[in-house]
Amino acid sequence: MQQHRELSEKQINTQLLNGALATPGWWKFAVIGLALIVLAGFATFGFMVNSGIGLTGKSRPVFWGALITTFVFWVGISHAGIMISAILRLTQAEWRRPVTRAAELLTVFSLITALTFPIIHAGRPWRIIYWIIPYDFSRGIWPNVRSPLVWDPAAIGTYLTGSILFLYVALLPDLGNLRDRTIGWRNTLYSVLSLGWRGNSRQWRLQTTAGILLSALMLPIFVSVHSIVSWDFAVTSGVEGWHSTIFAPYFVIGAVHSGVAAVVTMMALMRWLWKWDNFIRPEHFDALARLLIVVGTTWFAFTMIEILYSLYSLEAQELAFRDMQIFQWPWALLFVIFLITGFFIPVPAWFFKRVRNSIPLMFWTSISVNIGMWLERFLIIVPSLARKQPFVYTWGSYHPSLVEIMMILWSLAFVAMNMLLFARFFPLVPLFEQKESQVFSSKIKIGRASVPAVLREREQE
Amino acid sequence: MASNITAAPDHRPTFREAAAHLVAQGRTAASGARLWILLLLAVTVVGVIGVVGRIAGGFEDRTAWGYYAAVVSFLLSTAAAAPMVSIAPTLARASWVRPVTRVSQLFASVGVVTALLYIPLMFALPPLVEDGVRRRSIWFGSPPLTPHVWGSVAILGLVFIGLALLWASSIPDLRTVAETATGMRRRIARRLAMGFIGTDTQWKALRMRIGVLGAFYFVFLVFTHLVFSADFAVALVAGWKDAIFPMFHAMTSLQSGLASTIIAAFFIRKFGRLERYLELDQFWAMSKLMFATSLLWFYFFFSAFIVFWYGRTASDQAIIDTMVGGPYRWAFIATFMMSFVIPLFTLMWNPVRHSIKGPTIIASIILAGMFLDRIRIYAAAWSARGINDKFIREVPATHWPDIFDVLVIVGAVGAAALAFLLATRLVPAVSLWEIQYMRLLTRPVRFGKGHAVIIAKPD
Amino acid sequence: MVSPAQDVASHSWGMAVDIDRCIGCQACVVACQAENNLPINEEDHFHQARAFEWIRVERYWEGEFPNIKAHFIPILCQHCENAPCEPVCPVYATYHNDQGMNVQVYNRCVGTRYCANGCPYHVRFFNYWEPVWPESLRNQLNPDVTVRSRGVMEKCSFCIQRIRRGRIDARKEGRQVRDGEIQPACVQACPTNTLVFGDLNDPTSRVSKLRNDRRSYRLLNDTLRTEPNVYYLARVDTTEAEAAHG
Repeated sequence: MQQHRELSEKQINTQLLNGALATPGWWKFAVIGLALIVLAGFATFGFMVNSGIGLTGKSRPVFWGALITTFVFWVGISHAGIMISAILRLTQAEWRRPVTRAAELLTVFSLITALTFPIIHAGRPWRIIYWIIPYDFSRGIWPNVRSPLVWDPAAIGTYLTGSILFLYVALLPDLGNLRDRTIGWRNTLYSVLSLGWRGNSRQWRLQTTAGILLSALMLPIFVSVHSIVSWDFAVTSGVEGWHSTIFAPYFVIGAVHSGVAAVVTMMALMRWLWKWDNFIRPEHFDALARLLIVVGTTWFAFTMIEILYSLYSLEAQELAFRDMQIFQWPWALLFVIFLITGFFIPVPAWFFKRVRNSIPLMFWTSISVNIGMWLERFLIIVPSLARKQPFVYTWGSYHPSLVEIMMILWSLAFVAMNMLLFARFFPLVPLFEQKESQVFSSKIKIGRASVPAVLREREQE
Repeated sequence: MASNITAAPDHRPTFREAAAHLVAQGRTAASGARLWILLLLAVTVVGVIGVVGRIAGGFEDRTAWGYYAAVVSFLLSTAAAAPMVSIAPTLARASWVRPVTRVSQLFASVGVVTALLYIPLMFALPPLVEDGVRRRSIWFGSPPLTPHVWGSVAILGLVFIGLALLWASSIPDLRTVAETATGMRRRIARRLAMGFIGTDTQWKALRMRIGVLGAFYFVFLVFTHLVFSADFAVALVAGWKDAIFPMFHAMTSLQSGLASTIIAAFFIRKFGRLERYLELDQFWAMSKLMFATSLLWFYFFFSAFIVFWYGRTASDQAIIDTMVGGPYRWAFIATFMMSFVIPLFTLMWNPVRHSIKGPTIIASIILAGMFLDRIRIYAAAWSARGINDKFIREVPATHWPDIFDVLVIVGAVGAAALAFLLATRLVPAVSLWEIQYMRLLTRPVRFGKGHAVIIAKPD
Repeated sequence: MVSPAQDVASHSWGMAVDIDRCIGCQACVVACQAENNLPINEEDHFHQARAFEWIRVERYWEGEFPNIKAHFIPILCQHCENAPCEPVCPVYATYHNDQGMNVQVYNRCVGTRYCANGCPYHVRFFNYWEPVWPESLRNQLNPDVTVRSRGVMEKCSFCIQRIRRGRIDARKEGRQVRDGEIQPACVQACPTNTLVFGDLNDPTSRVSKLRNDRRSYRLLNDTLRTEPNVYYLARVDTTEAEAAHG
């Protein structure tokens, strides 16, 4: 399964630094194109601040819509980094190595993007800082810590800080590498950033210890972030469709589903754009697809249990909400698309080795997962609000406005642009992980066969 | 291969040593097994008296059956979950699990006890339609006996698949037993080995069978916990709408399955003198998993708790009062300490995890915690009244066990141990072929000045 | 003369709504609109479901034409003792005051709209746009009531400005507030005495007596346990009652 390709350290350096040290021709055009969308997004936001939330499609009782959906979506994507880097590191899965950096990066940028959405969506964004940072002591009013909306920035802020640290610690050896290969201002930049990295054994030990400690510490945060986001909804007893105990693990497993799928999308793009065929190989897609089968199936089981238990109560408003979500036009269509794209196309497809090893197919199935996951959140948030409680007189509906769609596009472009900018200055595939994996990969002779093997250090008791 | 890796001496037992040692272990006369069997048999008889007494008390009073249901659930959550300890790591191709696969799969034999105990419980369960009124259940409009049927299908299926898995993965060892043992064991082993001689095809079929049965076992375990928790707990409490509960039930069972395996491995290692086979590595790896599942215990519990606590609707408050903060507070607090707090603050330290006694003691505490957990859930659920109400308007008072309940509890544990012990008489408690595989696929080496191991990852 | 602290602690404002009396005339809605500076609801606002009605009259039809009956139920903020909207607000823009009222502080509100999601009665309103009045109506705005800006939540305040005034007047005269002395705009405008406002702490007040009526119930309280301070008196269907009792 593991097709080992022995590369010299020099080859690894030149090939993996081709993004940071030599700019590919398409890079400039891609960044400019994305920057235009990002600017248009900022302009739209300015327009909305100037005119009011009336520009969105929201109403009463659907006070939350596509913007909060997108917030949840990006928080979900951010679960890629720690899933790949921390969990797979602690479980010593070798195939994680080439994708760790990209996954962590995705975490950082998607979290930053996610954090902007509650601000964009608020009625008075210019005052939102009031509830993120304890403010204005003279009035004696602190943020209300009972509110899940205060837990959110706390959890996401911790996760973001931790992810940036995690990314930085893993970047140190490569920064030292870059410092030795650059001149001028970039050399100064890398010198400062690399914190005097020389690669001696003490530094390596510290770097490894820091990585493992951060992995272990980040795990609870990783779980808590999307749990807390889910509690924004689940603790609201007034909204029948939200008040479900399964939400925390359901959201977390869904987040892992969409996050890992997003990493697959990125890996395919990286392989195509920077021609890293030697590093991002079909075997990595294969391993991720196997992981996704497990995650996706668990997520689907949770979806079904959630629906089963909400119908179980046979309460009128619960039935009305499910009726709207599953059977009423156009929500029925969205529900079908959600099921097909989130589960029924990708997961069965991954059972075939041909699909798992085909990069274009993995690319498209992973995109399909994220379409489904966005719709999942949308179908939880909106119909639940539209069918809130038995006052049929005020039941409502919702459709996103152009402004909201523009902000969704903005978020996609913003993340992509940031990734490309990062890739211009830092390697997207960690060089040292690549080299380490070559040291740790080994072979065992069994009879006449030579079987690929890995080396594991162990303490002797 | 890097140049600083050198071969290291291999002290692990060879196949011949292992076969001689392990097959001899299985003799009934060995290690005082006969005495234990007689003792456990006596305890089992006591349990049977308890069951008969319970049945004689009638099925009308649901409250009386609470502890009985808790016992069945306890067996489902410990013994039935134990085989997962071998299944999940095997599917993930972990190497450390090989010596303990058999220990965990031997727990499938306890399934027989669970299934027998389940039979009377079915009669105590109220039918879906009573006096023309249909109660809420996950089966909606199905015929009145649906929960009974599906519950039986789930539990019998689980027992059947578990035994099939145990059998399938023992076939090569049964062959060895047939070749080296004497008397009746030899005859039975030869019959069960199904003509296995170790051809390529047979090995391939064996591995596939283990994989498929393992995957099925997992699916059935989750299904059983879903059905059992839904019909024998959730549906009996009006207004208990708790979608995470089946998953909490299944997840905590994995924690207790690990704990059961660790305890069994400890005793087998001690009384069978198997120190060279069940090494520190196995306990270490299992205690790591036990630590992880202990954290998940809290996570799954809290996911439900915060929604109820913050939501504070009438049914939310009633559920918390019934199972957490009300009459069963003592059981809940004890569970919380034993299943989460104590494991957290002990297993977080590597010296505790990296030992044999440490994980074993914590595992015993976890099992006790699990037992109290099932009591707080089932004893409370079975004494709840007003099944067709919107939510329980009156939180049931604590129901204490009577003498028959105590006999059933003692007898069930005894019978489970007896079934396990009898199974070890037939197949070696450590899988010979897995040990052999491990010896083949891993090599101890020196890495620079340190120790390392090379692990082969064949397809 | 009562001390101010005693005075504050002694009130618990509440309302009784006798559905049997409601004729669905919407006078309360209009009165509220005028008293509390609500933006003008144009046709578009109704289509977008963004109309402001701190009190609304929900209308439900029963039966088929011609044997058809209309049911009306006026719904306003229930001023829950156990309000789902309160704990979720990150900035304490909505909180419970010491007179049993759920109050909204416009200046603190940042517009997360979380409270509106939490409210099971749909009685919270969001200012999607900056409210505008035609030049001719500028001078009719109530000077006692803040004009809310774009981006904040608002809802029924039990006409807190009137409560304030009533209490100040009473204190000036050195007496307790008399029952019926303070009337929110909707209560004042109701032609059929459907709405009754008063102090629930005063056992002799009309609203206290109505609360103990056997027709009395509270919206969704049985399941959600929100403990509203608005009590509804169930409708008595005379035709059904006659059919039942001969």
